[in-house]
Amino acid sequence: MTCSPQDSPGLSLQLLDFVVDRLEVGIFAVDASMNIVLWNRFMASHSGRLGTEVIGRNLFECFPELPVKWLEKKINSVFVLKNYAFTSWEQRPYLFRFNHNRPITGGIEAMQQSCTFLPVKDEADNVGHVCVTLFDYTDTALYQAKLTQAIAELDRDKEVQDKLIAELEVAQEALQQLASFDALTGLANRRTFDKNLSTEWRRASRESQPLSLLMIDVDYFKRFNDAYGHQMGDACLQFVATAISAADLRETDTAARYGGEEFSVILPGTTLDGARVVGERIRECVQGLEVPHKQSEVSSIVSISVGAATMIPTSRRGPEQLIAVADDALYQAKRAGRNRVVAVNGDADADVVPAATTA
Amino acid sequence: MLTQDQKDALQEVANIGMGRAGASLAQVLGHFVILSIPRIVFLQPEEVASELTRIVGESEVSAVRQAFQSKMRGEAIVIFGAQRCNDLADLMGYEEDLDHATEIELLLDTTNILVGACLSGITEQLNAEIGFSAPSLLADRMPVEELLHMGNVSWQNALLVEVNFRLEQRSFACHLVMLMAEDQIAVMAEALDHFLESF
Repeated sequence: MTCSPQDSPGLSLQLLDFVVDRLEVGIFAVDASMNIVLWNRFMASHSGRLGTEVIGRNLFECFPELPVKWLEKKINSVFVLKNYAFTSWEQRPYLFRFNHNRPITGGIEAMQQSCTFLPVKDEADNVGHVCVTLFDYTDTALYQAKLTQAIAELDRDKEVQDKLIAELEVAQEALQQLASFDALTGLANRRTFDKNLSTEWRRASRESQPLSLLMIDVDYFKRFNDAYGHQMGDACLQFVATAISAADLRETDTAARYGGEEFSVILPGTTLDGARVVGERIRECVQGLEVPHKQSEVSSIVSISVGAATMIPTSRRGPEQLIAVADDALYQAKRAGRNRVVAVNGDADADVVPAATTA
Repeated sequence: MLTQDQKDALQEVANIGMGRAGASLAQVLGHFVILSIPRIVFLQPEEVASELTRIVGESEVSAVRQAFQSKMRGEAIVIFGAQRCNDLADLMGYEEDLDHATEIELLLDTTNILVGACLSGITEQLNAEIGFSAPSLLADRMPVEELLHMGNVSWQNALLVEVNFRLEQRSFACHLVMLMAEDQIAVMAEALDHFLESF
């Protein structure tokens, strides 16, 4: 207190009374019997009980809704321990159920209050009264509620975002699948074939390893389509694709639908003999399916011709040359009577598989 | 930090203070309170965590801190075990079932009277008025080693006074720790000298 009582003791006391009464803080005091001895304007206006009504009367008789046992204990502890005591709106929203000054914009049930209980000591250090100050924390409580809500919303947004990202990843994977694979047969499509072939070509070139390629054509497929219809034609291509998949290819091999009734298989690190074996295995698998083909000139069931080619890639050549050699091998297989494998070493002369392997 | 005479005086003051605190707490709670003989240690920041772990001897704790201001300034921390102070609810005037907010309020209330009683018990003898700030929650069921992060502090040495509380015939127990930084220790030393001169 910065009043100077020497100058004008009357004025300073008057000023003190004024401040205590008019401060926008609840101030009241009780004696050891819990009788109210001070009740400022804030308390009066919010409780609707004037000082003249409550001063001299017991706090709990005037306000029976107060938590008697707890509050009495609290005030008593201040008398006994000559010590401060506190309540916080965060744990106990209010001591007195007062209306707050945000009846429209509030959305909160009652004025949020934090209180301090002060021991009023006399000169002999005895506590004759306990003074309570009551601060309105409604605004703080509202801001905190908004903050909590905003944080919760952020968390929720994050959840939605995470979910969308997960869905997007699934969709991207599906899209990737669509873009890489042939819809009818489930084998790699032409795009993937081209990509993988040039990748394997570069790898084989670096490592000076042989790279083999099979070109596969369904014998008399146009006639099959004409005889059985396009739907059966599609089914036939699916059967052949199944046979290729059943031929024990490795992870690193690429089986693709090259276009129309043509299929191809990339066989990295495989010699011409190895390629011939794989081609023969696929041919046998197709035979094993025993799909009827009444219009075929070489058999009563669906058969394939296979051209196999091998090269050790060099930087002077490109993968298209390997395709050209494999195409040539396929042409030779057809010329030789179909339903057979012809293997051609791209680095040497043609090498026709003995007729014994044909059906 | 303190001379041997000053240390002895502080121990004496603390002993008497806890005696007074015990008596007034018994009056407030209506129940007998058992206070240990206060233990006084000087600590460096990096020793605080291990000292607290040693004092508490439990892994999960709740804790409340409260600042005090008199001639000396400092902070008091009351550390509760897994049972917190729920066993004290009726003695503190709580009648309703304890929800989370009420449990926290009970922790704050209990801390306030323990810290108030013990520190007043000490400062009264040193003729120092003491004031307190509202207590605040430091840890709500947390590993004890995470209680105080002393990575970035402005002090090198602190005076720690440790007291253990128990209630007769009840399971309630807790630990009170008062911490004062070195600049306050000098003030304490001066107050102890005055105390010694008064005999």
